[in-house]
Amino acid sequence: MRRRIFLALLTLAMPALAQAPPLQPLAASDIPALLKPPAHGTRIIAIWALDCVYCEANMRTLTNVVEAHPDRYQLVTVATDRYALHTQIAARLAAMHMGGYPARAYAEASPERLNFLLNPKWGGETPRTELIRADGSRLGISGELTPAQMRMLP
Amino acid sequence: MITSRFRHARALCWALVLGLLPLAASGHDMKMDMAGEPALGASAAIDAHGGLWLVSERGGHVLLQHAADPGTPLGTPVMVNAKPEAVYATGENRPKIAFGPDEAIYVQWTEKPAAGWVGDVRFARSGDGGKTFSAPITVNHDTAPATRGFDSLAVAGNGDIVSAWIDGRDSAAAKAAGKPYAGFAFYYTRSTDGGRRFAPERKLMDHSCECCRTTLARKADGGITAFFRAIYGDNIRDHAFAVLPAGDAAAHAERATFSQWQVAACPDHGPGLAIDAHGVRHAVWYEAKDGPTIWYGQLDPGHAPRHVLKIGGPGASHADVAVHGNTVWLTWNQVDADGYTLMLRRSDDGGLHFAAPRGIATSAHAVGSPQLLLRGSHAFVAWNTTDGFKLVDTEAH
Repeated sequence: MRRRIFLALLTLAMPALAQAPPLQPLAASDIPALLKPPAHGTRIIAIWALDCVYCEANMRTLTNVVEAHPDRYQLVTVATDRYALHTQIAARLAAMHMGGYPARAYAEASPERLNFLLNPKWGGETPRTELIRADGSRLGISGELTPAQMRMLP
Repeated sequence: MITSRFRHARALCWALVLGLLPLAASGHDMKMDMAGEPALGASAAIDAHGGLWLVSERGGHVLLQHAADPGTPLGTPVMVNAKPEAVYATGENRPKIAFGPDEAIYVQWTEKPAAGWVGDVRFARSGDGGKTFSAPITVNHDTAPATRGFDSLAVAGNGDIVSAWIDGRDSAAAKAAGKPYAGFAFYYTRSTDGGRRFAPERKLMDHSCECCRTTLARKADGGITAFFRAIYGDNIRDHAFAVLPAGDAAAHAERATFSQWQVAACPDHGPGLAIDAHGVRHAVWYEAKDGPTIWYGQLDPGHAPRHVLKIGGPGASHADVAVHGNTVWLTWNQVDADGYTLMLRRSDDGGLHFAAPRGIATSAHAVGSPQLLLRGSHAFVAWNTTDGFKLVDTEAH
């Protein structure tokens, strides 16, 4: 009986599990594709770190925006922690209810080179929000987004 | 950008590749890597005899290695903590090493279990030249789950051991009471018996930054000072300086940088400090008010630093400073699309003027924060890289 209930629950959970994209490493060679302007709307790259105490609130703000305008935005999360810590990164993403968004983690053991490639004008502070618009323009904002900064979003 | 001149600089550094044996994994090892990839957070020090010591982390163990001469390979690792724990050795966290009287060796690290940001400051001592270590003790008396980390360690002129760290207990208490509280707090303590016991910790300052390394530096009179990133007003992230007195005297932190960088973020970018025989406080720090910038300056607590010099812009990170006599050395990592260059600047007039920056080593792969070490009047840079630990001779370039 218990087994049947377990199998039933597993079957119900399968679509959700199938939709949750697994955490992927982000290498230097992956960054041009990540920064390529989307066909339409704006790609939001939500950069965060396990140590960052402001990142969860920032993530919440961004998901509110994306969920309110799913046709306008696509969200990708990028952890600056090395992918070797993928278990902790995935667990924190799940705790932040971010499991449904594409997620990357730095493939290198220290973050500076990938930080530089993502935006040389960024010194690595998190949270960092990078906006890539379809017209090729970009905007990068360090820190938890303020209401004034939110109004700058396209 | 780094010029090809730097890239093709002669590789004269002594590359001492860590021959660490993989250690048994444990479910308790938060930082155990999937593919055995070691964390880059490591610290080196040179003792009174000129010997090189390195502490690093592998598989939940802090490992100690020694080379009697900096030009010789590091010896077999000695396990500092027999029982594995979640040693925090990423970002700006790394195990620390310091030397006490009678050949004592002190090692400190932060244990950070997997759940949230909680942690404890841990300490072990060796009285036999690093052959064996005491069972680790927890330095912080308050052991209620709270964020603790970004610890620092120094030995005062009288042999006292000073330990400091960033602590989240006040933030947690304020949050529980529904009150606002910016950042965390800076706590410190002292051991007067060679690290067998530490006094109950004291709070130096509310509202430290949450996630930047702290720095302790010794004055010529043997006293210990602290320099760390703090929060002023509405998320302005500058730096505070304080003397940490012995006994019951109260310590007072003063604002020492005035960059006015306002951001609700974790910079993961703490400062460096070295104090010369005349009491001049040579400092390096990072801020990004108008883009990533690393500064050198001489602290004048309560006022803007003197002799300020911009030493790094985009791609520059994690600077360190050392002083001997009138010579001041600055080092930092400079990154571009192709990899990292270890940079050096030197002043021979007490920091009034610096020679042009030079690249003294390169790495195509990930690197840790560089650390200046003095062997008498001779400066080396300890540089932990994915390719192994390197001790770079600043005079060989």
